[in-house]
Amino acid sequence: MTDFRIIPGDIPLPLPTMGLEFMEPFFHGLLIVAWVVHILFINVLLGASLASVYFNSKGHKEKNPIYDRVAYLLTTPVTISENMGALWGVAPLLLVSILLTPLFYSSSIMISPHWLHIIYGNVVAFLLSYLYKYTWHTLEHRKTLHIFIGTVGVALFYTLPWAFMANVQLAMTPSTWTYTTHFWDALLRADTFFRLVHFYLATFAVTGVFMLVYGMYKRKSDNAEDREAGVVLTRTGKTWFIIPTVLNFFVGPLVLFSFPDYGIEAFFENGYFWGILLTVALALFSLYLLLKDFFNDDLPAKRVWTVVAVMVVAILSMASLRHGMRMGLVKPVLDASHAKTERFQRESLAAFEEAKNTPATPVATQANVHAGQSLAEKHGCLACHNADIKVVGPAYKDVAAKAYTADQIVELVKTPKPENWPGYMPMPPMPQVPAEDVKQIAEWINGLK
Amino acid sequence: MFDYPIFEMPFIGHRLLFAFDAILHVFISHGAAVGGSIILALTQWLAIKNNDHKLDALSYKILFTFFILATAVGALTGIGIWIHINIINPAAIGALLRVFFWKWFIEWIVFNAEMILLLWLFLIWKKHPLGTQGKKKVFNLVLSYAVASWLTMAIITAILGFMMTPGNWLKSYFPAEPDYMAALFNPSWIPSLGFRTFWSIAWAAAMAMLLTWFFTKKDLELRQKAMRLFGTVLLVCIPFFVLFGAWYYAQFPQAAKDLFWMGAITRRLAAHPEYATYLIVALSSMVLIGAVSLYTKPKHAPVFLAVMMLIGSMGLIGEFERVREFVRKPYIIYDYMYANGVRVADVPYLNKTGYLKHAAFVPPEFREVNEQNKLVAGKYLYQMQCRYCHTTNGINSVKARTAGLSEEAIYIRIGSLNSPATPFMPPFTGTDAERKALAAYLASLATHDKPALAYQKQLDEVKK
Repeated sequence: MTDFRIIPGDIPLPLPTMGLEFMEPFFHGLLIVAWVVHILFINVLLGASLASVYFNSKGHKEKNPIYDRVAYLLTTPVTISENMGALWGVAPLLLVSILLTPLFYSSSIMISPHWLHIIYGNVVAFLLSYLYKYTWHTLEHRKTLHIFIGTVGVALFYTLPWAFMANVQLAMTPSTWTYTTHFWDALLRADTFFRLVHFYLATFAVTGVFMLVYGMYKRKSDNAEDREAGVVLTRTGKTWFIIPTVLNFFVGPLVLFSFPDYGIEAFFENGYFWGILLTVALALFSLYLLLKDFFNDDLPAKRVWTVVAVMVVAILSMASLRHGMRMGLVKPVLDASHAKTERFQRESLAAFEEAKNTPATPVATQANVHAGQSLAEKHGCLACHNADIKVVGPAYKDVAAKAYTADQIVELVKTPKPENWPGYMPMPPMPQVPAEDVKQIAEWINGLK
Repeated sequence: MFDYPIFEMPFIGHRLLFAFDAILHVFISHGAAVGGSIILALTQWLAIKNNDHKLDALSYKILFTFFILATAVGALTGIGIWIHINIINPAAIGALLRVFFWKWFIEWIVFNAEMILLLWLFLIWKKHPLGTQGKKKVFNLVLSYAVASWLTMAIITAILGFMMTPGNWLKSYFPAEPDYMAALFNPSWIPSLGFRTFWSIAWAAAMAMLLTWFFTKKDLELRQKAMRLFGTVLLVCIPFFVLFGAWYYAQFPQAAKDLFWMGAITRRLAAHPEYATYLIVALSSMVLIGAVSLYTKPKHAPVFLAVMMLIGSMGLIGEFERVREFVRKPYIIYDYMYANGVRVADVPYLNKTGYLKHAAFVPPEFREVNEQNKLVAGKYLYQMQCRYCHTTNGINSVKARTAGLSEEAIYIRIGSLNSPATPFMPPFTGTDAERKALAAYLASLATHDKPALAYQKQLDEVKK
């Protein structure tokens, strides 16, 4: 069994299952589905925004308006998927936050402030993507500038997965935590690196499938230019799906075997490897479907939808086996964390009860104490003053040496005169203390020697 | 129990880091989304009713601006609030999520509806010009978008209300058992919702007036019509949010009311509550003078007045959020959790057994205080209990707060943090040895260059 150096505690409040048995498995299922939807939108965002800039510059270089049209058409899925992607990231965040609190919160903090890049980097990338889209016609004759804006936005979007991947990878591998782990430790690890490569390749593959569907609709358009753009989309879609998918057959195993041993063991013991076999078989089948008609620009709708359906199943299977891997990796720590939290609560309850039954004896209730002293404590004077030594304010002995009358002290409490005590922090006025009480406090102060 | 790694935001501190994101979100979500959608629905309704093509064209321009702001900045900074508090105060957001999970989940579904409606109406707007049958569909989309935006705010407001006035939400402390309905229907939810709703509409109207000024440079007739419309909306909303505001204020706990004037300005100026009054009066006058003059003389009023009105509104909104955050102190969830993430009920246990002992991310050699490690242990305590509000030498720095104080004086001061002198501060939690360690660390900060050296020396020695 692996030793875990750090076992964080959990939030001492119950899971919001509404007392229903099936709720926890339901949360996990929901997490898998919501996460897949989120990732698919993000895939299309990254793929389509890159493709748009690519076709924009290609159209500019080759003076071909069809490519320019393809590039422009691709900005609509970018707008939709950036918004929907962010939105569907919220549900997984919500679920992870309650299911894996100790792990996910810890990893988020370890990689901070870089974790905030997913907000601020995102806002800037969003604004650039809008600027790129809505200046299309204004900057028609300043293409270099236009392509530059697009490129910067896309580059920024491509840095966002770094923060996500570092966070998820760190949350999943509590065995690697140290007291000083930070963002770059998590990002520059083999497992994070392979996962990023796998993710970027999958991004192109998913965008490829998206282009097949989008191209199919555009090929049926009333507009001749859009029909030609549809053909370009279909051709690109095929290539974008086939090459990255083949490459990912090789990257996938690297990802799997870069996890800690105990996780891989749990993964195989629980039979999740069947998910891998299923995913690979389905991906191979999709490849076959597309390669068979590789030179057919008029890919029939039935073929496109079959590929989509097969890949949706493949992705869900992959997402489930990944979730299995995650749970295998975090279960030992999660169990230990829950046990630790329960123990803490039990012991804290004992101390709480004890404190309740033996109320602390403040100065006020002790015998032989001047009433003024109790009042000074009650009104918070003793936060800054001590009878004998200088704290924030002067010692009361030193105040007594000034021999103020009680009325003077009442006035000074209301409107302190910092000039009387150079070198001290100015006292805030305390007009809420009743004059009667101040008089008793003054009596106590003046009695000090 | 402090069980998270430590993230420290140097110089600007956590409060400003958080405030930057949060206030940006409030400006945009309340203005461009919640209030903005209501303004847009009203404008569309009038444009359709009067077949007013110019007003319709103007409302598209306003929609375009609101769309960019709401999607690129509003939505993301909203998620950002969550991400920020996640790394700043994980214990608090963790507790809120457990109590409000289902409300948050419903909010997410409504948020989906809001976003899809906004994208949909924005992308089809130009396909259905005024006078066509499809325009009615656009109007219905705008109206549904307005309802969805308002609902998201309604749910989030319940959570904010809960943090200040949780009501009787906790059936038992050990094990903690929340009463979910009581938490939702907390006393300040409805009044604060009314308050936010009306100022959102007024604020959106102010934004629309500024935009109108820019979009109608060549059409003063349209400017007059639009300024009168938005100006009426703004002025009508004022008495409503003032009334709801008073009702909301009445729900504050007494201790929070007592902190009101201090929250309204800085602590340094607490002796002069009248300054806060001047500030609020000045900001309100900026809004009123701007709104009234744009309303009465829309063709002649300079853009300066619109900008002034906007700055005044932003000042008032910022001021409200600041006060709301400040008066909740020393708690983050009233009576349940202190601002520094310590549960009130855990204090006796932590005072008895030690705070560091339970800190999973503090290396074991620093969990028990001794002469050799007390500076380092003290720094951990500072990071775990103080850095929520303080920095070492930036904003609200502990170095400035303890300048010139002896170690013993600091030690005494730490013992009565939550006293009538500073009622907004949570108490120090931990054993006497830990209190001494924190005092030693804070005292070492005051002595210029040496603390880093002394600290480093200890760290190196213990690590050996």
